Amino acid sequence: MRSRNNVGRAVLLVAFAPHCSAGVFSVIGSQSGSWPSILSSAGHIAGPSAVADILVAPSGTPDSPEWRGRVERGAALILEGSSPLATAFGFRPEGEIAPVVHLVDVHNPKLPIVWSQPIQIPRYTIPGGAQVFAKDRWTSAPEIAGLRVGAGAVLWVAVNPGVNGYERFPYLPQALNDLGFAPVWRASGLWAFFDYSYRTRADPDYLAEHWRKEGISALHVAGWHFYDPDAGRDEYLKQLIEACHRHGVLVYAWVELPHVSDMFWNDHPAWREKTALLQDAQLDWRKLMNLQNAACVEAIRAGLKQMVARFDWDGVNLAELYFESLEGAGNPARFTPMNDDVRREFQKQAGWDPIELFSTSGKSRADTASLHQFLDFRAGLARRMQEDWLGTMESFRQFRPDLDIILTHVDDRFDSGMRDSIGADAARVLPLLDGHTFSFLIEDPATVWNLGPQRYAEIAKRYQPLTKHTEKLAIDINIVDRYQDVYPTKQQTGTELFELVHMASMAFPRVALYFENSILKADLPLLAASSAVVTRYSKDHDRISIESPMDLELNWTAAGALVDGKPWPAQSAATVHLPAGAHIVEQNPKRESIHLIDLNARLISAAYETGKALAFQYASDSRAIARFDRKPARIDVDGAPRESKCTTPGACAVLLPRGSHRVRAE
Amino acid sequence: MPKAAPDAAYAVLTHAFDALRIHDYDAAISFFGKAAALVPGRADIRKNMAYALLKIGDSEAARDQFGEAMRLDPSDLHVALEYAFLCYEATGEAPARKAEARRIFLRIRMSSDTDARATAAAAFENIDSPLAAGIARWQQVLANSRPTFSALYELAQLAEQRDELDLAADSYKRAFQLLPERKSVLLELARVEKARGNAEGATAALLAASRGGETRAAELAREQLPERYPYVYEFRNALALDPGNDALHRELAYLLLAMSEKDQASRGDAEQEFKQIVDRSPHDYLAAAQLGILYLAGDDNALAMPILRDVLAHADQATANRVRMALKMPLLLEERRPENSPDVAPFDPRVLAERSYQAGFFKDAKRYFLAAREQNPADASIALKLGWTTNLLHDDAAALRWFDIARRSDDHAISTEANRAYGNLRPGLALFRTTLWVYPLFSSRWNDLFGYGQLKTEVNLKKLPFRPYVSLRFVGDARRSTGGVSPENLSESAFIFGAGVATRYWRGAMAWFEAGTTVSYLNGTRSADYRGGVSYAKTIGASIAAEHSGWFIESLADSVFISRFSNDLLNYSQNRAGFTSSLGGFKVQTFWSNNLTFDAKKQYWANFVETGPGFRFHPPGTPPSLAITLGVVRGVYLRNEGNPHRPNFIDFRAGIWYAFTK
Repeated sequence: MRSRNNVGRAVLLVAFAPHCSAGVFSVIGSQSGSWPSILSSAGHIAGPSAVADILVAPSGTPDSPEWRGRVERGAALILEGSSPLATAFGFRPEGEIAPVVHLVDVHNPKLPIVWSQPIQIPRYTIPGGAQVFAKDRWTSAPEIAGLRVGAGAVLWVAVNPGVNGYERFPYLPQALNDLGFAPVWRASGLWAFFDYSYRTRADPDYLAEHWRKEGISALHVAGWHFYDPDAGRDEYLKQLIEACHRHGVLVYAWVELPHVSDMFWNDHPAWREKTALLQDAQLDWRKLMNLQNAACVEAIRAGLKQMVARFDWDGVNLAELYFESLEGAGNPARFTPMNDDVRREFQKQAGWDPIELFSTSGKSRADTASLHQFLDFRAGLARRMQEDWLGTMESFRQFRPDLDIILTHVDDRFDSGMRDSIGADAARVLPLLDGHTFSFLIEDPATVWNLGPQRYAEIAKRYQPLTKHTEKLAIDINIVDRYQDVYPTKQQTGTELFELVHMASMAFPRVALYFENSILKADLPLLAASSAVVTRYSKDHDRISIESPMDLELNWTAAGALVDGKPWPAQSAATVHLPAGAHIVEQNPKRESIHLIDLNARLISAAYETGKALAFQYASDSRAIARFDRKPARIDVDGAPRESKCTTPGACAVLLPRGSHRVRAE
Repeated sequence: MPKAAPDAAYAVLTHAFDALRIHDYDAAISFFGKAAALVPGRADIRKNMAYALLKIGDSEAARDQFGEAMRLDPSDLHVALEYAFLCYEATGEAPARKAEARRIFLRIRMSSDTDARATAAAAFENIDSPLAAGIARWQQVLANSRPTFSALYELAQLAEQRDELDLAADSYKRAFQLLPERKSVLLELARVEKARGNAEGATAALLAASRGGETRAAELAREQLPERYPYVYEFRNALALDPGNDALHRELAYLLLAMSEKDQASRGDAEQEFKQIVDRSPHDYLAAAQLGILYLAGDDNALAMPILRDVLAHADQATANRVRMALKMPLLLEERRPENSPDVAPFDPRVLAERSYQAGFFKDAKRYFLAAREQNPADASIALKLGWTTNLLHDDAAALRWFDIARRSDDHAISTEANRAYGNLRPGLALFRTTLWVYPLFSSRWNDLFGYGQLKTEVNLKKLPFRPYVSLRFVGDARRSTGGVSPENLSESAFIFGAGVATRYWRGAMAWFEAGTTVSYLNGTRSADYRGGVSYAKTIGASIAAEHSGWFIESLADSVFISRFSNDLLNYSQNRAGFTSSLGGFKVQTFWSNNLTFDAKKQYWANFVETGPGFRFHPPGTPPSLAITLGVVRGVYLRNEGNPHRPNFIDFRAGIWYAFTK
């Protein structure tokens, strides 16, 4: 179950260098270590050293005028540990060797960065003018430092960054960014969960603008706060949804049945779920209701219908619709369901009351076969609930035809204990994709949050045989404090987070993050880059060749752009939006009159019809949002005129229908 | 009418409010921050900054600002309520924050402000009732079912939030006992113990968390522990809480052992602690060997021998050899132990070695480093550490061997450090040691550049209390004589070849004597030369080679017999007191010097006193033994019979000292 644990406060470092751009990196020598993982996850791509913008010199690299010359001319050089090359730049091991286990990093000085084991590291002297990014907690010995040299920069780390790249120095990508080597591409398709209780007095426009900049395309808003009508809260949500739409962010209602709302729990004590100790099932923050009680279900259905109708939602996320808890039958105080309806139904089928599994006196059943009989029944019950509620959500399309539907379901393929623990059985649910239109968002169970980013490729592989609708699969990354003894940080941040997001983006067409307020500030500037997947990139003067399996935004500050030789209308002041595939991007000295500055959908094609009219095709499971740099005089969707309501000066957002459509704006 | 003091923050606050008006919250926050720095005592600035932070959704930073505003103006109940609400939403150290929120609401609901009182009362009720219900629910769960970690932990957290601290502490303890590998629970227990005023309980929890188990918990505990080393009773309290903490047992055992060697603890205490380790971990042969040796030292052979026999039979050879040594048995050649050998002690000797080293228990550190080296002979960093450890134990011969091994490492950092240490140590232990020193000096009084130097090779025969040597000295100057009607030579202008003996240094003092020949480089004349004397040098405080700044006193005293000066005995006493400072790697000593020179023959030129200021500095990037001295002295001749000069003089001197040893 999700934790509402949040994060510590982050402190942002003010970058002290002008921003260069970096696309290609190369590791000198044959031992690349984890540098490709680190740099790829933060928006860079491996390439030949002759054209690399970022060079990595492992420990022991000999000094060479060539590398120094490259730095002077604008390359970034990453130096690892001690080497003649590091010595040439002034990074020398001159002090006593001492164990290092705990770092303080300027990007988040309050966050303890603790290594799983101490490492013996000599104390280094660093050149004058170098900025220390990370130091030893106890001795203040520098462990990461950097400085600008000529047109380039040097980033030095005291030891190699570990086998996976995130065990020791979480904020290497941020340090590189501070030195001016920012990624040149980004993607804007992330989903993020949102709990309003942490943001009650925030300015919705401020938040929405920042979310979009951070690569977020849809916000999944905790719906239980808005289940019961309340003038103040309703007004807040309406403003939030409007602000999100203005800034190109879609908004989904995140529903956590069997939790409905606090008021619903208080008003209907008879409909409360029971644990195996027959207590009311208030577990952590969730107050669970009995979804096998017909009256209860009808009441919830009516309430949800009203909630979906009351707000301008783009979709609904039916999340974690099964039972409790991760401790399974081993902890009866948290085991559900054990309400009277369930017990009656099971007893009718099996001939005995499931409470006997947990009785310590009177009738009791301690045998494994009995337990499994009930657990099978329970998994079937979960499957039935999911189908019923999916049907309910689909019925809401009668009044919200563009409503997208997501089913968030914990992974039980990678951690196969989930079926018995909480009744989650993906193999039974995934066939529903054949008859229903929804996306299946796979949630990482807490039990595997300590495993590395490579798990996402493995999870994807295990789901592919279960459905032919693999384009409907998505993955959810929980960014929270983990209960396991994990290192170097309790919560995923820096390189670990970027690797998680990057690997997940490679394995799944959609990645969700839980939750927007738990992502540490230091990570926000690089989040969009980490979610981008680029398979080929080269730059020859002002001509860029790039290939990606996903929509991509390429940094672009020239007046106009030619994509594959044609004037390109999907361009903002800072980027060009490219559809998936291979493209050549070149400068266009001429800037046309209207631009599509942002599109929250998959871009299929785009072109200028005349100097004053552009056309593009898109595809989207939900509504799409197109933002123009001015209010179009006329918009047609598939030839039919569509109204545009613009309130923000300089940017006009237009909501478009779900599906595949052609849009013309002039 | 008195003029109102200008508002130091007025201009910055104007910018802040202007930014707020156009919803540029980031700029507004930055300006409020600047204003708060200008006028740190103004609660209203903090309050406005907190509201701006809420606008960008940074509740945590807003909470901190409201907290500061509340501290500055406790009467502002509105601010206190804001702070309490945000504390209640906190996620870091949530139970403690929520408890703080509850306490604030409880306080304000008793206040005279009607609105604040009503808000606080409602908030208190919203918090307290669910807490009370939750506590009752989990207590019922625990009463009716087998206690689980999650039930106890949940109960502890709710009890902490409700300030039921005894219940919280007890529940955290019980939860930890069910899952003792979850050391982070001890940090929470420490927090509760502190809150209920049980400082010893808090220290016990932190000490237990700081040793063994989760590195993160250990580091966070270390941050909260006092800097001093823990007392024995604190170890015992921690072990009462965490009896399965092997690392803690071991550390206490070795602490008691070290204390017993200094008569600060009884041998019996150490024995008992080692016995507990051996009872808990029968394969910890290092501890078993230590226990057996302790029994043996207490003439308790009946207890010692079964244990020692077991160690001899099963332990690695290094440990077994220690037992053999204690039993006066012949040692066996140590073989490298295969990896995953069953007799590997179930702890990491490297970790224990580092801890012992840091705690200053160098004998233990050496023992553990040797064990670590045994496990990993290829690890040059261990050899380096052994070098430093044996060096600190004054076993320089062993240190030199370890540094020699370490300097062959492929690791550049290790080899660099080891090379430097080897280079520093080797000359003191080599059979032949050659030293060169030179000291060119300009004197304004004589308007002359003097040159002094010596090249000396000693033979280091370790068993002899003295060292024979051969030497070539140089004494000369550029001007040669004072000129005038009765010119005087300003130096010997000669090379002096000699052979002699010198004693070893004892507390800064040594004696020497040599016989040789002086050869004038002006005219080639030769004459016999015998010289000898005693020399003493002592520096107290920060020398010019010290890494830290500080005061120093330096004293040099020489008594030198020189046959060529009519068998005169010259005596010098040079004393300097001053301060050593480091300016970006540039070492500078600022001092005042007081010098006395006198002789047995009472010649005017050898009897004078001097006093005056000076500087000595060591430029960065130059060899460590190079120093440049600049100084001015005011001098007075103590004898003026035959003195052709004025009785007083002022002399500016500039000299460069350089020496090296091979």
